[in-house]
Amino acid sequence: MAAVLEVKDLEVVYQGVIQALTSLSLTVPEGAIVTLLGANGAGKTTTLKAISGFLPLEDGRVTRGSITIGGQDLLKLAPHQIVRRGIFQVREGRHVFSEMTVEENLIAATFAQRAARSRKEAFDEVYNYFPILSQRRHQAAGYLSGGEQQMLAIGRALVADPEMILLDEPSLGLAPLIVKEIFEIIARINREKRVSMLLVEQNAVIALKYASYGYVIESGRTVLEGTTEKLSADQDIQKFYLGVEAHEAA
Amino acid sequence: MSPLQQFIEYSIVGIAAGGIYALIALGIVLIFKSSRTFNFAMGEMMMLSAYFFYAAAVTFALGPFLGMIVALVCSIAVALVIERVAIRPMLGRPFIAVVMVTFGIGSIIRGIVGMIWGPNDLQIPAILSRSPIMLGDIFVPGKTARAFAIAVVIVVGLIAYLRYSRAGVALRAAAADAVTAYSMGIDVRRIISFTWVLAAITGCISGVLMANVNTLTPHLGLVALNVLAVVILGGMNSIGGVLIAGFIIGWLEAITGLFLPTEFREITPYILALIVLLVRPTGLFGTKEIERI
Repeated sequence: MAAVLEVKDLEVVYQGVIQALTSLSLTVPEGAIVTLLGANGAGKTTTLKAISGFLPLEDGRVTRGSITIGGQDLLKLAPHQIVRRGIFQVREGRHVFSEMTVEENLIAATFAQRAARSRKEAFDEVYNYFPILSQRRHQAAGYLSGGEQQMLAIGRALVADPEMILLDEPSLGLAPLIVKEIFEIIARINREKRVSMLLVEQNAVIALKYASYGYVIESGRTVLEGTTEKLSADQDIQKFYLGVEAHEAA
Repeated sequence: MSPLQQFIEYSIVGIAAGGIYALIALGIVLIFKSSRTFNFAMGEMMMLSAYFFYAAAVTFALGPFLGMIVALVCSIAVALVIERVAIRPMLGRPFIAVVMVTFGIGSIIRGIVGMIWGPNDLQIPAILSRSPIMLGDIFVPGKTARAFAIAVVIVVGLIAYLRYSRAGVALRAAAADAVTAYSMGIDVRRIISFTWVLAAITGCISGVLMANVNTLTPHLGLVALNVLAVVILGGMNSIGGVLIAGFIIGWLEAITGLFLPTEFREITPYILALIVLLVRPTGLFGTKEIERI
């Protein structure tokens, strides 16, 4: 059911002058978890924003290249249409609606649903993956812990029932144990629902563990790609992203 | 009549007048919440709606009921045209630029209404009964009381709708965080149009009520300037805040009229708004973000 996402030779410019991406290409095959590695400012988040169509909201523009899913051109669609096409982004920093309850946050995500599915069916699925959200359903989302907010952010994606989830830094600011718990659930969702994922992570160790394929980007272009096995064995990756050398020296 | 009784009577009349302020303020706040746009044309939209009502009910002799429906439909159409033609292209531009556009729209509406209907007072069909309501010994003017009752019903209905409907969730989501709302599949531009429609409805009803309580003139919209004080006092993004502020300002105006010369009626709302702003820049009830504990 899921289709292949293809980003080809993408160039992105902010405010008409600031070049954020110069030539970025990547492919996310059906049902895969693909990760995007790179230093701060390399263009990881910009790539996700370009796919989701958020760039015009921040005075950014795709000046060259293409983004397609199953052959359909995404650059022609507005952000809400891209979501309804089945590509859901879980934004960096979680962005739950803090003054709305957990359940109202989930209701907001029903606008992204493509096929008619009863609200109960959709919410039950969320509560099945994240039982804690069921207990908190009537609480304001602002009062949830960081981990619970991340669960809610992913829960909203489940309500939308997408073909692909774009995850921007899901581990940001969370304790290692919580990160592990959340990634186990992400992997379960990928496996059980055949949802493909494009994962942007600072935490390269965990990204390479859960993804099957990865791209390394520097200054807005793809510089290295390969299976995560191959990337994990790469000396530069070990040195710059996994800190192996420093570890051995110590 | 004892001074206490007089005080109570003025208070009730003032609070009743505040009901319409709250209704107008609600329209302003809804637009502000969805798009951070302060709609200075709200008063003129009200006034235009009342003229639509006059044209439909009197000129075309449709009677008050059909007249009201025609006025609502026309008001919504005008609001949608304003939003589409003048406001949407300005989204993302500096706040003050958009505000000036709404100012301009207000002037244009006033000019057009003056050209079509002239500057004189017009009498619209009485939709509100004049017979006073007695609360014990206290006398409440009939029109004011009934206008208040209608305003309260509309306000409560609208708030319940925004609180419990899916559209209300979408509106609150778009108001809180537009990019995230888009990422939920919510078409934020449509939400903005939707708030203009809601503002047209509250404006139309309050305009016709106003024209009933007073008379119909091209200056009817000036009342929205008092509502400006209401909105500042209540906090621009707080629906509950502006409702309470509406009643406070209405009451304050009436009480000022009781104790001080009438000129003071005009300025007391602003003095109060100014004092509140100095102490609390977000207004009395402007929302703070809930911080994660």
